[in-house]
Amino acid sequence: MINYFKTIYQVSKALLQGMAVTGRWLFQPAITVQYPDEKLTPPERFRGTLVFDKETCTACNLCVKACPTACISLEPYVDPATQKRIAKVNWYQIDFGKCNYCRLCEEACPTKPIKSVRHSHDYEWSMKERSEMFVKWKRDPSPVIADTPKDTGTKAA
Amino acid sequence: MIFPVLTQSQKRSIGVLALMGLIGGGTAMAIGELGMRLTQIWEFLLPILQKLPIPEMASQIAGMVIECSLLIGFISVSVMFMVWWERKVSAHMQSRLGPMTTGGWHGWAQTIADGIKLILKEDIIPESANSWVHRLAPVLVFVPAFICYAVLPFGSNLIAVNLDIGVLFIFAISGLSVLGIVMAGWGSGNKYSMLGGLRAAAQSVSYEIPRVLSIVPILLFVGSLKLTDIANYQSGMWFGFIPRWFIFYPVIGQIAFIIFLISSVAETNRTPFDIAEAESELVAGFHTEYSGMKFSLFFLAEYAYVFLSSGLTTALFLGGGSGPLLPTWVWFLLKSFGIVFLFLWFRWTFPRMRVDRLMEFTWKFLMPWSFVNILIAGAVVLALGV
Repeated sequence: MINYFKTIYQVSKALLQGMAVTGRWLFQPAITVQYPDEKLTPPERFRGTLVFDKETCTACNLCVKACPTACISLEPYVDPATQKRIAKVNWYQIDFGKCNYCRLCEEACPTKPIKSVRHSHDYEWSMKERSEMFVKWKRDPSPVIADTPKDTGTKAA
Repeated sequence: MIFPVLTQSQKRSIGVLALMGLIGGGTAMAIGELGMRLTQIWEFLLPILQKLPIPEMASQIAGMVIECSLLIGFISVSVMFMVWWERKVSAHMQSRLGPMTTGGWHGWAQTIADGIKLILKEDIIPESANSWVHRLAPVLVFVPAFICYAVLPFGSNLIAVNLDIGVLFIFAISGLSVLGIVMAGWGSGNKYSMLGGLRAAAQSVSYEIPRVLSIVPILLFVGSLKLTDIANYQSGMWFGFIPRWFIFYPVIGQIAFIIFLISSVAETNRTPFDIAEAESELVAGFHTEYSGMKFSLFFLAEYAYVFLSSGLTTALFLGGGSGPLLPTWVWFLLKSFGIVFLFLWFRWTFPRMRVDRLMEFTWKFLMPWSFVNILIAGAVVLALGV
């Protein structure tokens, strides 16, 4: 008899507790963010799309060796007058189809104070075709570019 | 976090809601009693109609059609509101936002858009279905719900048909919907629908009993089955501040209210008693094979029953339209939608019950207690001679 009423009491208490939980959540602000209208700022160490600074890069090949998926490829610039390699890139290419956004290339990069290859906070990036995933930076005021076949990097990667 | 810091948009929402409340309250007070106004319109139109060469029969039929259209309009608008409300309430209970873009302000037009989508959808009758039973079922589910609204007192003088047996009428007619659900289950030619229909039948028939028994104490006190009589009996105050609503009758009122509320939730086939639909076990139960407008009729019927149960609870336990300042129909709607909110709250809090426990709950718990309640109420009536 006592057990019967005890069960009723416990069950009603549990039901009311459950309702209190949902009732409390009803009046708390929602966590959902209305994405295209409002955007969250990514955390400081957020690994967004890679950006490359072709002016500071020394073509040291460390990022190429660090990359676990081998998505980076580069060609150092050879001065046509002296036939010597100088510490600049001729072209630098990242295959974003392979890139797994691990930051190892940025950590390997020796340029200071700003790494020449680094993650940005940008995440709104999409491609329609696979060929668009090969992003290539080229040294611009250069006569060499004209001689280089346009799709060399694409095929090499 | 008792007082959360409000963002700009939340402040704006609260402001808009307060403004809407003020405007709505003002308009309601300006309109006054809706029943009285409708009578005035009728009295204004009557001499004009009598001068026209229209047979009296035709004008009477036209009057009935207008009454029915008003009810249909009320049902569809309130169902649309309730669907939107349910989505918003469920979303916020789960820390989501729900529909936000349709119509601009917090997705208020979402149900209208959904309705248009349902009308445009293809109407499919499965090959194995019994075509006529399949077609007739949604109608048989919705029509009783609509008929029941005829005797629901929306306020003073605002009742389509003031039947002497109002309460009994509502219980009797709403019980007919089970037939439609069983037909939908059987006529779909689908094992899940069949199971859903049978479950729904067992559940509705079982819960009908405590639902009716729980209001017998009220009938003992009032001595009438007329809903307006019951509502009028509850007017006035005890000690000047407690309304004489039946829910405030010590012990008897609360037990009756709880039993009635639980069985109402079960009657409308809503979670935690939605074993008839049980999307995780039976796909969607009896309406698995329905699409387009037929599906929306089931949907309409479910929400119509939710409001009907809430309105009935208001009339029986919460004093109908009695309340200060605002006209009676506004009070009736406010109280009813309060009970509707309770329905939504239950739905998004409690998990679904198992079939055997569901049956055990009604036969071994609700029914004995409603009998006990009748016993106490009878003793009180005999002792006090109310």
